Amino acid sequence: MNAIIEVENLNFGYTPQNTILKDISFEVIQGRFLAIAGPNGAGKTTLLNLLCGLLRPKAGSIRIDAAPVESYSVKKLAQKVAVVRQEFVPVFDFTVAQMVSMARTPYLGTFGFETKADKQMINEALEATDTAQFALRPLGSLSGGERQRVFIARALAANSPVLLLDEPTTFLDLKHQVGIYDLLKAAQFEKGKTIVAVTHDINLAAQYCDEILLLGADGNYHIGETKDVLSQEQIEKVFGVRTFVGSLGQEKFFIPLGKFAKDSGQITRKPHNIQQE
Amino acid sequence: MAEFLTAKELAIKVSICLMVLVAVMCLCALVGTQNISFEKVFAGPGQKAGDNIDYEIFIYRLQRVILAALVGAALACSGVVLQAILRNPLADPYILGISSGAGLGVIIATLSGITWTFWSGSPIGLFAFAGALITVWLVWYIGHFTGKSQVTSLLLAGVVINSFFSAIIMFLASIAKSEQVFSTIFWLMGNITEKSFTVLLVSAGCILAGIIVLFALCHRLNVLALGQEEAKGLGVDAARTRIFAFACAAFVTAIAVSLSGLIGFVGLIIPHGVRLTFGPDHRQLLPLSAIIGAGFLVIADTIARIIVAPAQLPVGVITAIAGGPFFLILLAKYSRKVSWSK
Repeated sequence: MNAIIEVENLNFGYTPQNTILKDISFEVIQGRFLAIAGPNGAGKTTLLNLLCGLLRPKAGSIRIDAAPVESYSVKKLAQKVAVVRQEFVPVFDFTVAQMVSMARTPYLGTFGFETKADKQMINEALEATDTAQFALRPLGSLSGGERQRVFIARALAANSPVLLLDEPTTFLDLKHQVGIYDLLKAAQFEKGKTIVAVTHDINLAAQYCDEILLLGADGNYHIGETKDVLSQEQIEKVFGVRTFVGSLGQEKFFIPLGKFAKDSGQITRKPHNIQQE
Repeated sequence: MAEFLTAKELAIKVSICLMVLVAVMCLCALVGTQNISFEKVFAGPGQKAGDNIDYEIFIYRLQRVILAALVGAALACSGVVLQAILRNPLADPYILGISSGAGLGVIIATLSGITWTFWSGSPIGLFAFAGALITVWLVWYIGHFTGKSQVTSLLLAGVVINSFFSAIIMFLASIAKSEQVFSTIFWLMGNITEKSFTVLLVSAGCILAGIIVLFALCHRLNVLALGQEEAKGLGVDAARTRIFAFACAAFVTAIAVSLSGLIGFVGLIIPHGVRLTFGPDHRQLLPLSAIIGAGFLVIADTIARIIVAPAQLPVGVITAIAGGPFFLILLAKYSRKVSWSK
């Protein structure tokens, strides 16, 4: 299998003195779903911004589809990589359809009108994310979860092989969190997208992602199959928090335990189908 | 199925608006202190000068009407572009120092007592043009030199330069002779006068070229209005697009300012009005704002010509007096719409 993202000895810091990311190397195989998790300030979003060419590495290299990121023009890179950041309301009242149409910008001609093929891709993306019903409504009139779906529709309409997401489910309720990840998983399976998502939610990562990159605040990192990397010890080491680890069939889940948690790590009342590991 | 703006649909809308504009322009050229009859104007020019006075008055007024249309189109377009690249709905063509720079150029020209002429007219316009472009370059340079968040530092640089130059204008005005100050003040209020067809032709060429270039940037302005990071993610080189759009907008505004002085409100309210009515898609917003801005200024200038006849008001007074309440009505309507949709 081909690696579509290759990161080699990556170093980055915002000032010459400090280095956030030290000697990071990993690759993402085409069609895989990678989560990037870690405590605040570990450099997750920085890493994502490096992958999409918004920042330049201090040392080391990032290759997308076998070519260095810096060798792409802004337009060509956008054709390879679509980015979804946290949802926002734009200054001007663009409609959902207009917002999703913007994904086709790197393909438009001089005066910027969409072709039939462009329109088809936009409509498919709207249908796939169940946002076609809002197509003519201003983005500002939607709820946060609906808006995030629109941004994912935009990323899908770009028709790029790689999808990068920065905390796509922050501020969303449980139903919308799962809904967003369901959409991403569908894009992975049906369209063969390679997905890299920065997330704080290790449970969603455990459930949906093939691999996980755990970035520690100390600069250490672990990458591997999600089920291998995520363990009580590893999470305590990286996040500095004790967790209760349970399993539901094949799925592992992690409940963080604070100072006031009763019975430190022991669950007293067990629902019948949950076993402690 | 979502609906998309097609080139054909846009062409139809633009043609309809253009036809209305031409009708408004002809109507406004017929109106004035001297009554002229439509039939005589339609009959065309006489054998020799003075045969058909009505036709000659019509043509004379038409020069002024065309000038108003050009200036209105330029200011409205420039407003659209600056609001997009600064991501600020309160931006207008003058926000980055064009007004004070042009004003300074004019007062320097007036006070230095130059006697040479330019295109058989006063060279004041030339000084205004140069002053505007130099100041805009200065603001752009300072804005990019000082800060990382370029939009904020650009706006701040614009505000600082504007007030600094205004202070210099005040200083020069206070030490100058009164008749010199009077002509400068009249210019600062925005004033449209008849210009020769040569001047009109050259300025029309420049302004239309500027608008066409800006139109080709419109789909990128849509993306740029979402912010620099988003624009880059969508394949638009934000820095390059911004400087290019800004340079074109500054050029078009500087021409408008050199023709007519400082006419306020057009560049602010026309883009807003059109955006509220037709939506924020810049591919449609820019051409429609140009045409509607042209029509607005033509009507405003006609009112300025006749309201205190035989004297004439500076058109800037009319745009501000009519524009202020109009803007407030739009704002009230807009806030209601937003609260309704949420």
